Amino acid sequence: MPIVVEKLNYAYMQGSAITKAALTDISLRIEDGEFLGLIGHTGSGKSTFVQQLNGLLQPNSGTVHVDEFDMADKKQRMEGRKLVGMVFQYPEYQLFEESVEKDVAFGVKNMGIGEEEALERAHEAMALVGLAPEKFAAKSPFELSGGEKRRAALAGIIAMKPKYLVLDEPMAGLDPLGRKAILDTIDNLRASLGCAVLMVSHSMDDMADRAERIAVMNGGRLVMEGKTRDVFAQSELLTSIGLDVPQASRLGMELRKRGIDIPENIYEIEEMELALLKLLSKGGRA
Amino acid sequence: MIKDITLGQYFPGNSAIHRLDPRTKLLGMIAYIVIVFLVTKTPVFIIPALFAAICIYLARVPFGYVIRSLKPIRFLLVFMFIVNLFMVRTGKTVIAFWIISITDEAIKQSVYITLRLVLLLVGTSLMTLTTTPIALTDGLERLLMPLSKIHFPAHELAMMMTIALRFIPTLIEEADKIMKAQMARGADFESGNLIKRAKNMIPILVPLFVSAFRRADELAMAMESRCYHGGEGRTRMNVLKFGCGDGVAAAAFAVLTALTIAAQKLIP
Amino acid sequence: MCVIRTGKEGETGLIEIQNVSYAYEDAAAKALNNVSLTINDGEFVAVVGHNGSGKSTLAKHLNALLLPTEGKVLVDGMDTADETDTLSIRQRVGMVFQNPDNQLVTTIVEEDVAFGPENIGVPGNEIRTRVDRALAAVGMEKYAHSAPNMLSGGQKQRIAIAGMLAMQPKVLVLDEATAMLDPKGRRDIIDLVTKLHKENGITVVMITQYMEEAIGADRVAVMSGGELILEGTPKEVFSQDELLHKHRLDVPVMQQLANRLNARGANLPKCILSVEEMAQAICLSLSKN
Repeated sequence: MPIVVEKLNYAYMQGSAITKAALTDISLRIEDGEFLGLIGHTGSGKSTFVQQLNGLLQPNSGTVHVDEFDMADKKQRMEGRKLVGMVFQYPEYQLFEESVEKDVAFGVKNMGIGEEEALERAHEAMALVGLAPEKFAAKSPFELSGGEKRRAALAGIIAMKPKYLVLDEPMAGLDPLGRKAILDTIDNLRASLGCAVLMVSHSMDDMADRAERIAVMNGGRLVMEGKTRDVFAQSELLTSIGLDVPQASRLGMELRKRGIDIPENIYEIEEMELALLKLLSKGGRA
Repeated sequence: MIKDITLGQYFPGNSAIHRLDPRTKLLGMIAYIVIVFLVTKTPVFIIPALFAAICIYLARVPFGYVIRSLKPIRFLLVFMFIVNLFMVRTGKTVIAFWIISITDEAIKQSVYITLRLVLLLVGTSLMTLTTTPIALTDGLERLLMPLSKIHFPAHELAMMMTIALRFIPTLIEEADKIMKAQMARGADFESGNLIKRAKNMIPILVPLFVSAFRRADELAMAMESRCYHGGEGRTRMNVLKFGCGDGVAAAAFAVLTALTIAAQKLIP
Repeated sequence: MCVIRTGKEGETGLIEIQNVSYAYEDAAAKALNNVSLTINDGEFVAVVGHNGSGKSTLAKHLNALLLPTEGKVLVDGMDTADETDTLSIRQRVGMVFQNPDNQLVTTIVEEDVAFGPENIGVPGNEIRTRVDRALAAVGMEKYAHSAPNMLSGGQKQRIAIAGMLAMQPKVLVLDEATAMLDPKGRRDIIDLVTKLHKENGITVVMITQYMEEAIGADRVAVMSGGELILEGTPKEVFSQDELLHKHRLDVPVMQQLANRLNARGANLPKCILSVEEMAQAICLSLSKN
């Protein structure tokens, strides 16, 4: 069963003089096992939306269902929350335990699982994010490097074995190596746990590389939703609302501006390479 | 919750009161506190109360906004009122039923204590409402400056206050984020007894402290990079100057003091 | 009292990093290993590298926040190890850091911009003009009376830059100042710094992990494992894709594409860094045929 969001409306400080609509009329499904990308510029409501998915914020109207659980109901919310793993921006700032394994096990123990099994699951999760338990389990989380801390925080969510993994800009502030490590970890997780992923990111090249479907938010509304290819085929529209597009799409736009015929739906660099080769060799023959 | 507190919050404006030198307002606040403490007879409170009302009017701060500054201590006010009501035993009994008896002295005393607290609070919040925190620290630094001759760290104190003011909103925001992140990991901050609740705060407090130290470290580096080396040889962009408004304010306080003392003497 | 010296200007560069090595306390490996680099007056130099490559450690040597364990750093002829010159050096070398939240000191934007000049004892009325000018230069005059915590990350970084400009430095060092910003904020900062460099002639040293940000620089220095492994114009540096790959560094995407196309028989220029350049090159190649 998927996460189903229907006609969701939300405003900060509802009822006060400074009510500000943050989310307007959003309907979206997150299917089992899919990789959905969520894009939009800062202030478009992405982070607010994401917090609705595990009931940290509740809609003023409309509904959020995680599987069969209605997130508006206090009891069901607790059950639904267990299914949705939430990785916030800069998650390394939530680490607090004296050892990495204890920190990773924190969420599991909160689910009412015993010490021993919690640690076992913590070790499993650590291995999945590439922090070998033998080496890192007893270390203090504060001794790790930036990228390692980020992965330890990620492990803390994964150990809870969520069915849906929600990541709010998981690569922010990391260098290219760190970014790639996180993206590979996410792929790895999907393969081994089969969880669905909703990732918020500003990096369009990463989105082009990994997401199956993309939802676009602007001014608190969902303005576009579809297969990655179909969304990036509308690069002109995305650019007009101030968003970046993958570099291959940008090159396509530049070439079309110069009168060269490049299909609009090319967004991957490998594909662009093939199209250009064809074009250049055709030109050569003529 | 934390955002509701108006105590210590600035209400932007450009009224005569806003334009007063922060030193005047600081000294005025102290004078006002002293005057309120001078009052021993409940009816005399009308004078400082009227004075405060005039100031609020001149400052063009909505009356409700000032009253809201009392909200965080409303329980304290009610508590003080009730304690005095039941604890004071002298005087004639006015109301008596079951084991409760309330005397006329008790009512007088409760009203007196509550009024005094309200006035003190209105007086101080009026100053913070009309003075930017930065002007306030600036004023404080200037007022304390003579003390630096005897090695009182006036500049350091003011700097500390400035930085604290700058980082309070940042840290509140951060606490909120950490809290949400731990809630997403199933942490529970709402159930259990007091000790359990306090223990449950650890997942918030540890990251908050770690982050505060990291911020302090980075801030220190940024300040050093901007040639900060203590108060020595430092100039200021905005130098405080007393204007004619400050003279008027001083006169007003003199009148207020005189009136209050006179009223104390005259009212039996 | 602080006296700002006028430096001994000779034929040497504005900043001379001479055989500098640095080891953090109780760290096994050196963070910097025998690094030499000259920054000339009016140049735009990008220093790129991964986390832990030593690039930020190097940046902190430029204004005497760190002092070399071996070798020396000269700023305008002044040795950073000489404590009497520290303030003069810091006035010349403005430094903007990574976290926008942790470098603004006061609660009002214009007061914050005034913080630096106040520290070096500039007279009050002159600070006023400097602050106004600095805020205008970064396009934030509208926010002079705002509180920093109401601003976006990119806006906060612009204020931090204004705070440096108000000290009238010769060099602006950006120590990963864009790393925590969203794409728009990042673009704003890069555009602003490029503008300041072109119009005001300020020397820029930009420390970054994004290869794309180094494209517009006059010169690129590549750090890896505490060493300077490569230095030259962006075209020179990014054409060394094998060496960069060996150090697990990326080449800009368009350069990768050009390399791959050329390897399969296309006839594009050897060095293509930006999307616009690539589009032009393809047009040219098509019209030639």
